[in-house]
Amino acid sequence: MTTGTSPNVTPAAVNAAPAGRRKSPAESLLGIRELAPGLGLIVVALFFTALTTNFWSPQTMTAITTVASTIAIVSIGVTMLMISGEFDLSVGQNFAFTPILWALLFVSNGMNEWVALVIALVVAGGVGVVNGLVTTSFGIPSFITTLGMFFVLEGVNNLLISGHQLIMFDPSLAMSVLGSRLGSTPFYAPLLWMFVFAIIFWFVLTRLRYGNWTFATGGRVGPAKAMGVPTKRVKLTNFVISSVLAGLAGCMQFAYIKGVTQGQGQNYELLAITSAVLGGTSLFGGMGTIWGSVIGAFLLATIQIGLVLVGVPGSFYVTFIGIMLVIVVIANVRLGRFGGNQA
Amino acid sequence: MSDAPLHSGAPAAIPERTHEVDRSGQPVFELRSISHSYGRNKVIFDVNLAVWPGEVVALVGDNGAGKSTLLKIFAGYQKPTSGTLRFMGKDVSFSSPAQARAIGIEAVYQDLAIVDQLSLWRNFFLGKEILHRVGPINVLDRTRMRREAQAAIMELGLTRVHTVEEPVLALSGGERQSVAITRAMHFGAKLLLLDEPTAALSVRETRNVLKSIERARSHGLGVLYIDHNMSHVLPVADRIVLLELGRVVRVIDRGEVSIEELQDLIARRTQALAV
Repeated sequence: MTTGTSPNVTPAAVNAAPAGRRKSPAESLLGIRELAPGLGLIVVALFFTALTTNFWSPQTMTAITTVASTIAIVSIGVTMLMISGEFDLSVGQNFAFTPILWALLFVSNGMNEWVALVIALVVAGGVGVVNGLVTTSFGIPSFITTLGMFFVLEGVNNLLISGHQLIMFDPSLAMSVLGSRLGSTPFYAPLLWMFVFAIIFWFVLTRLRYGNWTFATGGRVGPAKAMGVPTKRVKLTNFVISSVLAGLAGCMQFAYIKGVTQGQGQNYELLAITSAVLGGTSLFGGMGTIWGSVIGAFLLATIQIGLVLVGVPGSFYVTFIGIMLVIVVIANVRLGRFGGNQA
Repeated sequence: MSDAPLHSGAPAAIPERTHEVDRSGQPVFELRSISHSYGRNKVIFDVNLAVWPGEVVALVGDNGAGKSTLLKIFAGYQKPTSGTLRFMGKDVSFSSPAQARAIGIEAVYQDLAIVDQLSLWRNFFLGKEILHRVGPINVLDRTRMRREAQAAIMELGLTRVHTVEEPVLALSGGERQSVAITRAMHFGAKLLLLDEPTAALSVRETRNVLKSIERARSHGLGVLYIDHNMSHVLPVADRIVLLELGRVVRVIDRGEVSIEELQDLIARRTQALAV
């Protein structure tokens, strides 16, 4: 290794780190994309700790983690898709559609619950295939494709349970696996599943070739294609991941609440995107992290529950979320964290 | 064309080469009586063209001369209407650029070289990732890819990116191409195709890209490139192929003409055609 041809790399640095210049601790910290949302979460938590007496109570922890975990699971899939450069606005409806289908199959029609779950998830995957094929083969924005799918599924949900609520007083085994309380802790199964999926997709994104291709596809599709990345297949796969995770998270919600209505998952498409963006995922593709989206989901849930504790009307929290989202995006654009797709 | 400054960005310090291209063996790639039409519009007429290992061939000519179409035929983007393609002495036919790439024909486009958001090592190995088996799954061998990418780009002397870990956003147009050329060499390309590699580059940048071309040649690659700037073509090209309305009208050997003569040649022929 010679340094003569590259005057800007000092010999000391090269010797110290054969794979590159060693970063200072400050640089390494700033390089962690989860740092900003993580700090935000800590600030928000401290804020509510100071303002309320029961922020750290088991009840509050249950409320925050159950809200956060399902949004986070949806957001993990949405993040994969956003990194590859596409959106999915149908995940909120899928969040209701899949558990409705599952419940209808095994509660109302007596099918084996596991078989029913697999069928429901395969159908959810089919929704992703349709989203992906329509988007990639016709070359239209996924915003439109999945907005269409949003309405299609909303209509189907109406048709399937027409305003009724499906309730399961006696949770089955599958429902326990997906939604029961974890021992005597204040936490429920969806939280555990969230960590499982976060670890899986963090690994996929950062350690597998598929992750590399996902970043490249969303980063710049032209060079990615030129280097032999099957960009259409990558996008299609991420549409399926997004749909299946949304459906599965919906089933967990159903298992935890022991009931489902067609209103379940309302706004979740937007909350999932919001979590991802708060967590540092670029709206233009090519950048993002799984853990950032998980932190983003916790940020949303903490604000939602915290405001209730403070005494603000529950439905008002979205106003805060909206303002915060815009501020975070402005900050990200200013800091140039959204990459080279814009000035 | 004739009004264009002749010396905008004249490269400095490209060493005068002494060796001659050995054309006794097989060419890397050969076009034999290639013709091509877009619908009823014939754009390439019976072109014969060969590139030998260690040879830099420049395609010059005015707009519409057919340079880009020929390059596309080389790269597998375009299937010629008639004629044969020979690669290392064997007849070949491509139905996609991927097929051309698979046998060692690497096209480098200025705007298609690099994914900005990926780190340098991820870019370097994009589509050709090194994997190692961990249990039942193939995992990216990040240590090895970092090390190999670092070793390969060391000699480029990139000024704005110091480690292979950094995203390549900061790379300039010329550095992107140098990285892409280095990458092509690293993966054993036999023929390098460059479409206006020096367009919109500064003097220093141009020099670096031309150096990369020199390096590719000295590694025994064949290089075919299109360039509008004759002062960039002349110092590195072993042969200059002048195209006009889809025909090869002249093949000029290294040192046969000066920049002014070359520029004049293209301009005069174009004027003659316009009359």
